[in-house]
Amino acid sequence: MAPIVGIDLGTTNSLVAVLEDGGPRVLPDPETGARLLPSAVAFQPDGTVVVGERARALEAVQPLDTILSVKRFMGLGFEHVTAEDRARYRFVEGAEGSVRFEAGGRAVTPPEVSAHVLRELKRRAEAVLGEAVTQAVITVPAYFNDSQRQATRDAGRLAGLEVLRLVNEPTAASLAYGLDKQDEGVVAVYDLGGGTFDISILRLHGGVFEVLATSGDTRLGGDDFDERLAGLVLADVDEAERSAPAVRAVARAVAERAKRGLSDAVGAEVVVTLPSGRTVRRTVGRDEFETLVRDLVERTAGPCRQALRDAGLRPEDVREVVAVGGSTRVPLVRRQIETIFHRPPLVDIDPDEVVALGAGIQAGILAGGRRDMLLLDVVPLSLGIETMGGVFTRLIDRNTTIPASVKETFTTAVDNQTSVDVHVLQGERELASDNRSLARFKIPIAQLPAGVPRLEVTFLIDANGILSVTATDLRTGRAHSVDVKPSYGLTEEEIERMLEESIDYAEEDVRQRQVREARVEADMILHATRDSLAREGTLLAEEESARIRAAVAALERAREGEDYVAMRDAVEALSQETEPFARRIMDRSLQEALANRRLEEL
Amino acid sequence: MEAATTVRRECRKCGTDAGPALVCPRCQTVQPLAPGADLFAVLGLPRGLALDAAGLERRYLAASRAVHPDRHQTASEVDRELSLAASAAVNRAYRTLRDPIARGRYWLELHGTGLADGGSSVPADVAADVFATQEKLEELRVATDAGERTELRHDVEGLRAGFAARLGGLRDGLVAAYAGREPGLDDLRRRLAEIAYLGTLLGDIDDAIGEGSDGTDRRH
Repeated sequence: MAPIVGIDLGTTNSLVAVLEDGGPRVLPDPETGARLLPSAVAFQPDGTVVVGERARALEAVQPLDTILSVKRFMGLGFEHVTAEDRARYRFVEGAEGSVRFEAGGRAVTPPEVSAHVLRELKRRAEAVLGEAVTQAVITVPAYFNDSQRQATRDAGRLAGLEVLRLVNEPTAASLAYGLDKQDEGVVAVYDLGGGTFDISILRLHGGVFEVLATSGDTRLGGDDFDERLAGLVLADVDEAERSAPAVRAVARAVAERAKRGLSDAVGAEVVVTLPSGRTVRRTVGRDEFETLVRDLVERTAGPCRQALRDAGLRPEDVREVVAVGGSTRVPLVRRQIETIFHRPPLVDIDPDEVVALGAGIQAGILAGGRRDMLLLDVVPLSLGIETMGGVFTRLIDRNTTIPASVKETFTTAVDNQTSVDVHVLQGERELASDNRSLARFKIPIAQLPAGVPRLEVTFLIDANGILSVTATDLRTGRAHSVDVKPSYGLTEEEIERMLEESIDYAEEDVRQRQVREARVEADMILHATRDSLAREGTLLAEEESARIRAAVAALERAREGEDYVAMRDAVEALSQETEPFARRIMDRSLQEALANRRLEEL
Repeated sequence: MEAATTVRRECRKCGTDAGPALVCPRCQTVQPLAPGADLFAVLGLPRGLALDAAGLERRYLAASRAVHPDRHQTASEVDRELSLAASAAVNRAYRTLRDPIARGRYWLELHGTGLADGGSSVPADVAADVFATQEKLEELRVATDAGERTELRHDVEGLRAGFAARLGGLRDGLVAAYAGREPGLDDLRRRLAEIAYLGTLLGDIDDAIGEGSDGTDRRH
């Protein structure tokens, strides 16, 4: 039987894993051996789409066409796009207030962008496993609402994957931790990733992983740390230069590296070269970094307390705290965990891989391979409907175990009303308008005097945390199917059309893809080299300069052809020729002059 | 309406008598919920207010293992839909029955009545508490002097502790009543109404104190 894969579709990085006899295994890129795939997608003007490490490197050259952190925009409306977001990408409003990125000269939806990452992981899994992969378990932040979950499932479909289950990330992580130990007791999973924060409190008993409560913040993560640090480094640069997307992109990349360094060292040097040629240099101490991000880290305490309260537990009742997500490597974050739960977190499993490993296990459970384990998860936000006067009436409380269903009876307010309007929302606030709108729909009803019709509507949240609705006319016993189109979501027709368009990607042969990628690589180094020659050409001896120009010309010729091996060789040759040059530039502390190449090496 | 549920129900797949079970004892196929089954029946329990927590949890976990959609992923669409419905029913049954207060309310519902029925008015002492508490909360809301605020907060927290203790006592009393001779509907309604009032009062206090502390934090 074809394997079901488990996918961690992360804000910063994504991974794919499967459950094998010996346990779950992350599947690496067969060529490079890399286990993490950067969740970066670059849209080229010629229609080429670059994914992963190369796309991340392209951010410095094409910051507006390279989408990083697409996960932050999944299931969101155009109205939710912030000024900060606008400083980073170009947005256009899609149908019914949905979000589209304008990248590489076209408008793309967040699920389409995510689908490129998923397609790459699918290819990777197929290459390693040697068979077609069509079914997957995909993880989502526990605190994702219905729209965000639907958008993730749509992304899977667009990538040619049947999404058998959406699993909450902290819950998946607990599976990976609980696999070998048949533990009993309460465990907390603190998951701070690149863009989202989740806290889940679980009770483990006899192989059953029962989530008691979950909370979080879908817009809080390590990316925010990078943004703050980048801001600090660029503080003295004048506004116009500082706000250029390319400058911000380079500053963020450099800040991210410095942040990692600060997890082990007490200081790090950050160097950014501006387009004007000016170099900004800043030494950042760990203390300074911690002051800079302290309020962000402290923001995780509120959801933790909320989850404990909802579970009816005190910190002392928690036997173990598991740290998940790359951001839990930051010492300040670990101290925060200890402050909240009065014990240091468990970090036995690589925090970058644990969610994917758990997704692999869940895939195995669904395939019938692990009948000893069972996950019982909860819905993170209360679900309800808008009632008279714009009041939010709760039907399913947050932290209710899923699947969950509730029946509600509706009638009419005026004579001969032809339909009943239902507005479904998710959230904790008293007023409907303060909560997230999930869907609006009309259910047809027989024309009768007011108050006579009786319509029973069943709201069902399935094991993925996704809502479906059915209605029955109690007078006639007739059932109505209710088509719930999520607010800001894709319609069935849109998905069909996108699937047709994406057949190009799916059926593109390997050679074609290699050619496209080699061409992108060629463009990157050509761009960097021309740039450096223009700026730093005086550093070169005549003879050296001539050799580099010859290599550039050779690559330009190869680039026009279809032979990707020749293209790669020419890239390599040029890279060899420019290496001493690049080193000299670096010696002059202009480390970012060859930004593309340097970023790729990060 | 039919009073008796069913004695014999054949498994829709293999024909074995599955009785009121959620899954066929022979082939594990999920069965449609027995018509008219109440939440006790869903978990295979006799109808009764007295329930042992550990036993209830065991039943819940066993039922979840049997019907959860993760266990029927590879089955037909009909099987998966039945698994989804059965799983939702099992979850609802456990959520309702494990909590003595929710269980009591459901008991009233099963007997065709509710908290508001039977003309039960607010007990006099509870009404007085509600009034006194709302007054204190209002004072706290308008107070600006730091010293006065601290004092009022202290008072409110004292009230809160008292109510919480009383609520705990009422809850214990409820559980004891379930275990002894089953309480009559009027008695049950009276107990649950008092618990509901206290619960609302505690909620109001928490909202007020929560907002107060945030405001104070922001000012300093």
